Amino acid sequence: VRCQQYPPLRALQASAVLRRASDEHKKEPLTSSSQQHFDSPPADHQPEPQEPQGPHPSYTGQGGQESEDYESEEQLQHRILTAALEFVPQHGWTAEAIAEGAKTLGLSVAAAGMFQRDGSELILHFVSECNTKLSKLLEKEQKLVQLGEAEKKPIDEFLRDAVEARLRMLIPYIEKWPQALSVLLLPRNIPSSLSLLTSMIDDIWHYAGDQSTDFNWYTRRAVLTGIYNTTELVMMQDSSPGFEDTWRFLENRVADAMAMSNTASQVQSTGEAVVQGLMGAAVTVSNAGCKSRI
Amino acid sequence: AHGPEMHFGFQTVTEEERREKIYQVFENVAKKYDVMNDSMTLGIHRLWKDILMHKMNPCPGTLLLDVAGGTGDIAFRFINYVRAVRQRQLQRKLKHQQNLSWQEIFESYQKDKFNSLGDSQVVVCDINREMLKVGKQKAQHLGYSEGLSWVLGNAEELPFDDDKFDVYTIAFGIRNVTRIDLALQEAYRVLKPGGRFLCLEFSRVSNPLLSRLYDLYSFQVIPVLGEVIAGDWKSYQYLVESIRQFPPQEELKAMIEDAGFFKVDYENLNFGIVAIHSGFKL
Repeated sequence: VRCQQYPPLRALQASAVLRRASDEHKKEPLTSSSQQHFDSPPADHQPEPQEPQGPHPSYTGQGGQESEDYESEEQLQHRILTAALEFVPQHGWTAEAIAEGAKTLGLSVAAAGMFQRDGSELILHFVSECNTKLSKLLEKEQKLVQLGEAEKKPIDEFLRDAVEARLRMLIPYIEKWPQALSVLLLPRNIPSSLSLLTSMIDDIWHYAGDQSTDFNWYTRRAVLTGIYNTTELVMMQDSSPGFEDTWRFLENRVADAMAMSNTASQVQSTGEAVVQGLMGAAVTVSNAGCKSRI
Repeated sequence: AHGPEMHFGFQTVTEEERREKIYQVFENVAKKYDVMNDSMTLGIHRLWKDILMHKMNPCPGTLLLDVAGGTGDIAFRFINYVRAVRQRQLQRKLKHQQNLSWQEIFESYQKDKFNSLGDSQVVVCDINREMLKVGKQKAQHLGYSEGLSWVLGNAEELPFDDDKFDVYTIAFGIRNVTRIDLALQEAYRVLKPGGRFLCLEFSRVSNPLLSRLYDLYSFQVIPVLGEVIAGDWKSYQYLVESIRQFPPQEELKAMIEDAGFFKVDYENLNFGIVAIHSGFKL
């Protein structure tokens, strides 16, 4: 709807940093011109339409179409956070890392003020990027299988490889990862971190294909989440070369899960057998007791 | 020369007259400015300024422009803050470098000893000579010398080049600027891309009960304090009137956005008695 209205009086000078999509490959900021900036931010961002005051220059923008090419603030924030990742091993998941990242983009260190001080946004951004990378990887593998260029992996190998690939993305940041985990567990971050985790797990199951297991949907999620989380914790404390202890742990956990699925159907019949056995034992004992009393 | 009609407190004056009158006000109050701040706000203004600094969270190497910075409150806090951050940085660096030779330790100590601010700098700019004078005296008295400079200048026409500063602050000053839109444009101009604009100013109290109490205190108590402590009723009458004439939070936010700033937001302190507006040059 906003596109149809006369664009609001906003940022009559060209933005200093937000780039046009076409300028993606150039590094220079825009030269000034009277182009209107318009992005699709939440409603509170736009000022109420008001009469221009006194010497305020009249609007001479060139219409709304061009402005949609501008990068939005969110995209700029993503760029800054991505640039900041390079400095995490040194500074941790902090505002300092973000400030350094902003510097590499040619921005002032004060731009780090756009983000929260505890680095929550940086960590969530990283997790989301890793999940995206994982999705792409799994999709690629799936294509190869569909084209017949690769073998379809058995379910336990698939899960193992997917979790390993995802955890390997943590390796460059492994020293500071415990700090990140504790931030992700802060009450205000839990909704976001939980939703990122579950969507990643769901993704892996999606690409695992419909290889039949006896798991139903909820148990599948819970089982893989458990495997992922425990392996992640083991990885934090693993000092073996190439994290081989972690991958062995992962292998065992996945094997356990597979065994469990087989047991699940057996458990029911076993359960009945056990109950009967107990009943029998109880009867025997009471008989024996009665007999001894006689 | 007659210019457009403006407000000076509750009076109506021309632009020229307004500038003159405001200059007079601050010339008169300069010597007692800090004392009056403490008595009017019961010392709470110190907390407001601390909160502003905390929000800014400057890292060492930041270049700050404090406009209407007069007696240096923000500037001194900035210096303390970056010094503390720098200390912690150096301590962390030292912890990680346990295996240095004596020569290396000596060299790094030399280098860092003379860089306790980490190249941070603050420029205090004020239009009023008297206020700057008081500020310089205070700095000398409190022992602030490194990383601090004092410049006489008008917020509507800053004597600085484009894209120079990381942070621009104006604490309790923008209310006294005659052409706020020009000041905001100048702020935009002198900030680096990615730089931050921070404004600490009296604002609108929306809670009606509190608003009544606040009005009562403002109009009955403050000018009296002004007369008793500073011997100047009229200046403090101007002060409380100018607070009422100043645009409320949302309107100021719109003006800041009009100047070209992004991610403009404000935080109310004490229910809106004071508000911190923040924007970024993106």
